[in-house]
Amino acid sequence: MSATTFSSIPGAAKNEAVALRLGNARRRSDAIVKYLCILATAIGLLLLVSILFTLLMRGLGGLSLSVFTTMTKPPGSGGGLLNAILGTLIQTAIGTLVGTPIGLMVGTYLAEYGQGSRIANIVRFVSDILLSAPSILIGLFVYQFLVEPLGGFSGIAGSLALSIIVIPIVVRTTEDMLHLIPPTLREAAIGLGAPKWKMITLICYRSAKEGIVTGVLLAVARIAGETAPLLFTSLGNSSALGGMGSPMASLPVAIYQYAGSAFEDWVQLAWVGALLITVGVLAINILARFALRGKR
Amino acid sequence: MSTTMSDQQGSHGGVQVRSASAIGKSRIEISELDFYYGAHKALKQINLNLPDKQVTGMIGPSGCGKSTLLRVLNRMYDLYPGQRATGKVMMDGQNIIEPHVDLNALRARVGMVFQKPTPFPMSLYDNIAFGVRLHEKLSKAEMDERVEWSLTRAALWGEVKDRLNTSAMGLSGGQQQRLCIARTIAVRPEVILLDEPTSALDPISTLKVEELIDELKHDFTIAIVTHNMQQAARCADQVAFFYIGEMVEVGPAEQIFTSPKEKRTQEYVTGRFG
Repeated sequence: MSATTFSSIPGAAKNEAVALRLGNARRRSDAIVKYLCILATAIGLLLLVSILFTLLMRGLGGLSLSVFTTMTKPPGSGGGLLNAILGTLIQTAIGTLVGTPIGLMVGTYLAEYGQGSRIANIVRFVSDILLSAPSILIGLFVYQFLVEPLGGFSGIAGSLALSIIVIPIVVRTTEDMLHLIPPTLREAAIGLGAPKWKMITLICYRSAKEGIVTGVLLAVARIAGETAPLLFTSLGNSSALGGMGSPMASLPVAIYQYAGSAFEDWVQLAWVGALLITVGVLAINILARFALRGKR
Repeated sequence: MSTTMSDQQGSHGGVQVRSASAIGKSRIEISELDFYYGAHKALKQINLNLPDKQVTGMIGPSGCGKSTLLRVLNRMYDLYPGQRATGKVMMDGQNIIEPHVDLNALRARVGMVFQKPTPFPMSLYDNIAFGVRLHEKLSKAEMDERVEWSLTRAALWGEVKDRLNTSAMGLSGGQQQRLCIARTIAVRPEVILLDEPTSALDPISTLKVEELIDELKHDFTIAIVTHNMQQAARCADQVAFFYIGEMVEVGPAEQIFTSPKEKRTQEYVTGRFG
């Protein structure tokens, strides 16, 4: 390459040695950062694995059929987690059943009717804040408005607190999934003479089905493990299931209560409960991830 | 240019051109149409008649407003705030861009096929039945018949008659577009709007669709927007040339491509600019 080829470009002549040195420095810093990333990943994985390992070590020992079939009894007389398991299942189910339709409708409004509207922007903003609000605040809120006036803790208050946590999760997922639908698909439905609501229910929901279901599953996984809101609303119940109108048992609260107790068998129950919740939430998350696999 | 012009076809520099068939009564009459995207005027004082049961081709360089005009004819712009039209688009004595027009009924009479095939995420049968169910109550036997009729007219029946209950997403691009055409004609509209229907298709599918258009015009009034001048020459009876929001010239296809009146038309069809 003769110098005359680049005679019109200003600057000193090319120096191969300088270029090589710069290249080496670049490759060095590339390697350093790469190994730092691998180290960070390893630390993260190590933490996760050690949590799971501890849970399995401590929890498997206490796992037996009676855990699933007997209610908790006073310390020393056997007993299981049936009330806590049922309580979590009931409150999670009701929380999901109440929160999902509301979240779905708000998400649909934001995606289909609220483009650029000022109210829609405010609703979206508030929903996103609620999404990351500390759940203990939601528990306190429901305590203030439902537990105090009614004079007692109850399963219904617990379910309500959980449904408030579900709503912003479903709103965000629904809006995001509906936004993924190409505008031409909507126009095709409208072009055939479909009224807007039919376009939304028959075409959009069908298209976004998997994504929305995944969002609901993730919300279920979240509320199954929430403790703080339940502390102020359904309180937990260490002898019976309780009911909609009285303090109701749940797994996270049971873990909280039994883990700190002075009695061996209750502490063992707490570990079993922790294992059950972890496995349950993990299973739902994996299921949700597989459901989303097909959706681009 | 060619000295051996047959009754139906002429040719101009290798391009097949439809000879001027009698342009009969108008299905849609557009007069003094202006269209705005917000403050920007995209269509200026358009005057155009779409003759009944004929194919009107709309050609012009990118951004000239031909797709915009097509989307006025079925009020598709209504979906988007900030887009509006003024003027008159008369169909059966009614100005369809006036506020209190029943849009669902309008769209049952004016169907549209888009550039990108848009099959619904359901079975082939349900895709066709979707539009019909919006406007008519048919028994199972009647619906079966309508589905078969639509798919036959769209030249797709033979290929899919054994898998009507499979998902529409499993079809090839050309098949999907013919499905969309079948879906559009299933509601028996009077006018069909085609917005660059073959630009996403391979040449063989394109040919099939163009043959389809030739048959469909016996029953439907057709307006087709195309970037491909040769396609307009092959398919259209009447051609309108658009340039930056204005309609420069309209006339029989043969005239536009062989002896246009306007200089800009002449320059466009001879490829001076694109």
